[in-house]
Amino acid sequence: MISKIRPAIIEKADGYIPLLLSFTIITFFVGLYFSLIESPADYIQGDSMRIMYIHVPSAWFSLMIYTLIALSSVFWFILRNPLLSLAGRSLAPIGAMFTFLALITGSIWGKPTWGTWWAWDARLTSMLILFFLYLAYILLWHSISNKDNASKIAAALGIIGFINIPIIKFSVDWWNTLHQPATISKLSTPSIDVSMLIPLLIMTLAFGLFLISLFIIRIRILSLELRINRKMTY
Amino acid sequence: MFKNLLLRDLRLAYYSSSNFIYIGSFFILVTILIPFVINTETEGLKSVFQGLIWVGLALALLLALDRIFSSDFDDGNLDIILRMEVSYEKIYLSKLLSVWITYCLPIVIIVPLISTAFNLTINETIFITINLFCGSFGMAATAIGINALLMGLKRMIYLKSIIVIPLYIPFMIFGVEQGSWPVLSALSMIAVVVASFATSYGLRLYGE
Repeated sequence: MISKIRPAIIEKADGYIPLLLSFTIITFFVGLYFSLIESPADYIQGDSMRIMYIHVPSAWFSLMIYTLIALSSVFWFILRNPLLSLAGRSLAPIGAMFTFLALITGSIWGKPTWGTWWAWDARLTSMLILFFLYLAYILLWHSISNKDNASKIAAALGIIGFINIPIIKFSVDWWNTLHQPATISKLSTPSIDVSMLIPLLIMTLAFGLFLISLFIIRIRILSLELRINRKMTY
Repeated sequence: MFKNLLLRDLRLAYYSSSNFIYIGSFFILVTILIPFVINTETEGLKSVFQGLIWVGLALALLLALDRIFSSDFDDGNLDIILRMEVSYEKIYLSKLLSVWITYCLPIVIIVPLISTAFNLTINETIFITINLFCGSFGMAATAIGINALLMGLKRMIYLKSIIVIPLYIPFMIFGVEQGSWPVLSALSMIAVVVASFATSYGLRLYGE
């Protein structure tokens, strides 16, 4: 199973890491300049809303990465290519990091805006559960020493978790509308101004580049680790 | 063959430390903790009891996580079962029924008996019992599915719990609500179907 890995793709992608990292840093600096200095402060919330430029991209990517893990699990079942299970394994800690970042920044943002660090609001609660789904996936990889078996089980778990996300979202929403008295001000801003949208998009691009470079670095480390283990066992 | 598998599991449960006396006492003791940790005014007692029924059921199932398939796997009985001409689905169904009878049925029976002690009216008692009946199948199925995937892991009950508890959250949310038994049955059906695939996949992995 492991021997089917063709490291050529990873080796090829590895050459792009310095380029990707430098792009990431440049985009981060441009995005931070635009979001912290160039863009206007919010009419009501003042400067505290600038944390949105970190919060929103990390929340987007935390959801996207779980979808990617589920997709790689599904395709692992079809193609049985070990690279796909490696992809899921290397994406999971990145996704957990983004979820954690979204939770922390949301909490910091909530203190001046809502007056509380944490509210049992539907979105917050389902993000917290998503964090634990990531954690379960990571711990599963961590605790099975035979990585061939681990990839088989983790693929099944990735799909089960993905089936559960909409169910959890639906039930938490339902629970929230039923049990909470009209919650704290909703922060849905569908009509975002262009002066704020541009920094947000640049920051999203920076986060995306950061995600891709981390992903390539991690998948390379993991494939090297597999090769070392294979050399040691034979 | 189905009947033999089911009877074997039930007999094993009856003569081991997981028959209804153990599960029932465990559950009653969990609920007895409520008056000690909150003051004994009626309203708070009632709502906490309704929630803790589900926590107790989840705890009973989580404590069983280390033995649902693992004990058969350890002593080699699973190899013999897999060698017989019996489909994975039948093994799964017999396991589902035996787990439900062993771990959920005592709780479904006990809840109406002790609910008067927590000031529940007859109407509320009926509703919560129906909810328990509809939801417990799905919770048992989830436990079986995850356990079949992870049966090679010994003494990993915390890992299994971390995986299983997020899957229990929808059952918890709808369980404490009166008259939500249709939603709970739907959730149970989804869980039973998904767990059947997970179980046959897990059995196939370890049967090889």
